[in-house]
Amino acid sequence: MPGVRYYDIRHVQGQSTHIDIDNGVCESAASSFFDHAVIRALSRNGWGIITIDNFQELQEGEIATLVDRAASISAICGEDISLSPPLRGSVDVPPLEEDPRDVSLGEKTAILLDLERSARIPGIMNTRVNYIERFENVGFRDSTGYENRYEICRSGFGVMAVAARNGTLQMGYERRHTIRGLNIRHQQDLAREAAERALSLLDARPARGGTMRAVLDPELAGVFAHEAVGHASEADLVQEGNSVLAGKIGERIGNPVVTIVDDPSLPEFGFEPFDAEGSATGRTEIIRKGVLAGFLHSRETLAAVGNGRAGHARAMAGEPPLVRMSNTFIEAGESTRDEILAECGNGILLKGSRGGQVDPGRGVFQFNAEYGYLIEDGECTTMVRDVSLSGEILRTLFSIRLCGNEVRMHQGYCGKGGQSVPVSDGAPYTLLDDAVVGGSGDS
Amino acid sequence: MRWWAAVEILDDILTAGSRSADEVEVYLIEGRSVSAELKRSVVSRSIESRHFSLSIRIITGGRIGTSSTSNPADWRRCLEAAVASGKLATPQVWNGLPGPQSLGGPDLSWDPAVDPGAAAVQGMLEGMVEGAGRHPVQVTSGSATMSTGTVTIANSHGIGYSRNQSLVSASLETIRVNSTGYEFETSCSCDFDPASIGDRAGFLAASSVNGKDIPTGTYDVILSPLAAAQLISAVLVPALSGRNVHAGRSKLAGSLGMQVADGAISVYDDPLLPRGLGSTRWDAEGTPTRKIPFIRDGILGEFAYDLKTAYRHGAESTGSALRSGSGGLPAIGHHNMVIVGPETALMDEPAVYIQDVVGAHTANPLSGDFSVELTNPFNVRDGSYETPIRKAMIAGNVFDLLFRITGLGRDRRTIGSLILPSIRLKDQHIIGV
Repeated sequence: MPGVRYYDIRHVQGQSTHIDIDNGVCESAASSFFDHAVIRALSRNGWGIITIDNFQELQEGEIATLVDRAASISAICGEDISLSPPLRGSVDVPPLEEDPRDVSLGEKTAILLDLERSARIPGIMNTRVNYIERFENVGFRDSTGYENRYEICRSGFGVMAVAARNGTLQMGYERRHTIRGLNIRHQQDLAREAAERALSLLDARPARGGTMRAVLDPELAGVFAHEAVGHASEADLVQEGNSVLAGKIGERIGNPVVTIVDDPSLPEFGFEPFDAEGSATGRTEIIRKGVLAGFLHSRETLAAVGNGRAGHARAMAGEPPLVRMSNTFIEAGESTRDEILAECGNGILLKGSRGGQVDPGRGVFQFNAEYGYLIEDGECTTMVRDVSLSGEILRTLFSIRLCGNEVRMHQGYCGKGGQSVPVSDGAPYTLLDDAVVGGSGDS
Repeated sequence: MRWWAAVEILDDILTAGSRSADEVEVYLIEGRSVSAELKRSVVSRSIESRHFSLSIRIITGGRIGTSSTSNPADWRRCLEAAVASGKLATPQVWNGLPGPQSLGGPDLSWDPAVDPGAAAVQGMLEGMVEGAGRHPVQVTSGSATMSTGTVTIANSHGIGYSRNQSLVSASLETIRVNSTGYEFETSCSCDFDPASIGDRAGFLAASSVNGKDIPTGTYDVILSPLAAAQLISAVLVPALSGRNVHAGRSKLAGSLGMQVADGAISVYDDPLLPRGLGSTRWDAEGTPTRKIPFIRDGILGEFAYDLKTAYRHGAESTGSALRSGSGGLPAIGHHNMVIVGPETALMDEPAVYIQDVVGAHTANPLSGDFSVELTNPFNVRDGSYETPIRKAMIAGNVFDLLFRITGLGRDRRTIGSLILPSIRLKDQHIIGV
């Protein structure tokens, strides 16, 4: 393989199952099969990458041809790339508490139909449950002869209820995803919660936009950590000059109460036994007590940028690896929820999340709460809906005044470069001074 | 398994499937693409991809079963999974898959001159970097992709349609200090100028430096085609789906024949648009496509249906099925959604121009409420960008916004599956300082 300095092959095959229940009707309950591989070859010019389906059918000779082909297409590149030394090792995948393969598609469908029925309370005009289960067999090998593999199952469900009154529609939504096996049993209370929230939101007012104190619940504060800090700490963006955190290692960028971590080795939804480059995964403190401490890295960005550890390269099946977050969280502080509300005095409590987005180069982010309450004299009062927050990365962490004493993680998917990967975000209750709240109302 | 061999097995699948189901349908996508990416101004990755996807759908007694695989040689397992899936689905009214029709004519979203190759994508990247170089900015990242593919559908009623498609896309991101710029173009041909993409991305970053704060208040606003497409995709598009309408998840349910937008505005799906990115003569179930007037002169005219939703609710499929569902399932979508109305100069009178928004996907798809951060906002007047705005949000409601349209620009362009111009709006709530 002339000109090939290094190559690796990541092969992912498996089976995914989707069940869609809509207003009592099983719309679909189906399984699909996939087999994708990515062959990366590094030449003196840069990366040449081949992605191909049905890799398992290839012979060794054909694989060598693909590596040569990957190297040859790197001829148009112009970057002499170095890789940091390999970081070997892997974390065991936690055992499944109940293996979804042991439960028939029919039984899962029956459980989900019951779950969906639980959300059908008076005033609710639509209920929907989606279930997904995905088994991935991941194999990695590289030109040093190193090989590793694992099997992981990610599964979970979302339940949505829609309430309607006089032409007004509102929805309540709950989701739970896990790497621990089947999690759809005994979830009727969660379905009812979604339905009750949809009904409550019919009477909620749009929030008043402006600058105010805000208390974020653990789910929303986790999204805040993800959008406000996580993306800008991805070292591919730092290397491109597209992050306001570039060049700021060791600088204070937030209050000492703030420590933010990403850790793909944690057995949460963003878990990776080893990363998409075969590197061992582990904890990276992005911000330690208000000071920027490290970036998230692949082997390439660690060699180019420094500060941090590799093990943060992730990829969808059949896609090239990118530097990504995994399990991102704000570390617990010492305050109780009630102390945080009391300290807030007058402001807004924001709960739940419909996601967010960031422009890391400009340093501006936005994220959205599903609902909230006005806080008056330390007490939650009027319910409000459709509230977003925006902020500037380099200012906003100074406005975190208090962090609660209990971290809770929530699961979701994060998009970057056309790829969507499973993540979890978490935080304790968090008090922000001077939060910029976007709302169209006058509450 | 090679492509031609995959096509040969279609008959085998239909024959085997017909033994265990009333009806069988096979949908096969094959494609290849070549792309390259920039890191700063240097090409850092070159990527070549080949892609197969085979979906099988069976229907027995109104029960619909599906499965898909990336390996056509594995079709027997896929067929078994589809049959098993059908046993679990709730039976519904089903009047059959479509039969063959004469749908001749050239492929609409296909340019045979598109030949994915490394040199071609390299040339696009170099062109964008050259265009950005006209401004005092740094390129941070960019990409260029060329792809071609073939889509084939066959069913047990004798349908056997196939079409070629091609796609060329390029995008560039730039930065100056802490101001960023992003521009892109997508076409089924190599008919755009990469340097213009770079020039616009450079202009946006360079011109947004030293933005001024804007007081919170009510403003006239101009949404660029990109900003408008983001909000419309998040809210209006799902509300036009017949499935959402009948399920009680659309605010437009019950509004047929009623005014839902300013009287000057029309919105339609045009699947037969020559060179449209989503153009096709048949949809993902083999139903012939046609123009769908969703909104005509502000009046809601029609919703989109696939076969399943249409049969269930006594309607007809509008040819709106796309293979966007989980596991390769057909789902309701649109092909080329076009927004039209009288086009004028929009920037003569003072307004806040919004190039893009951050977080459009967080809009509430049911109520239409949104509050999002602005990207590259400018105060405009007398036809030109006057001053950049440092940071602000806009909050409102997409359904309400359709009534507050006061003009459409002359800058119609394709943004994903939407084709639309800039939109000027009155009385919009901006949250600044």
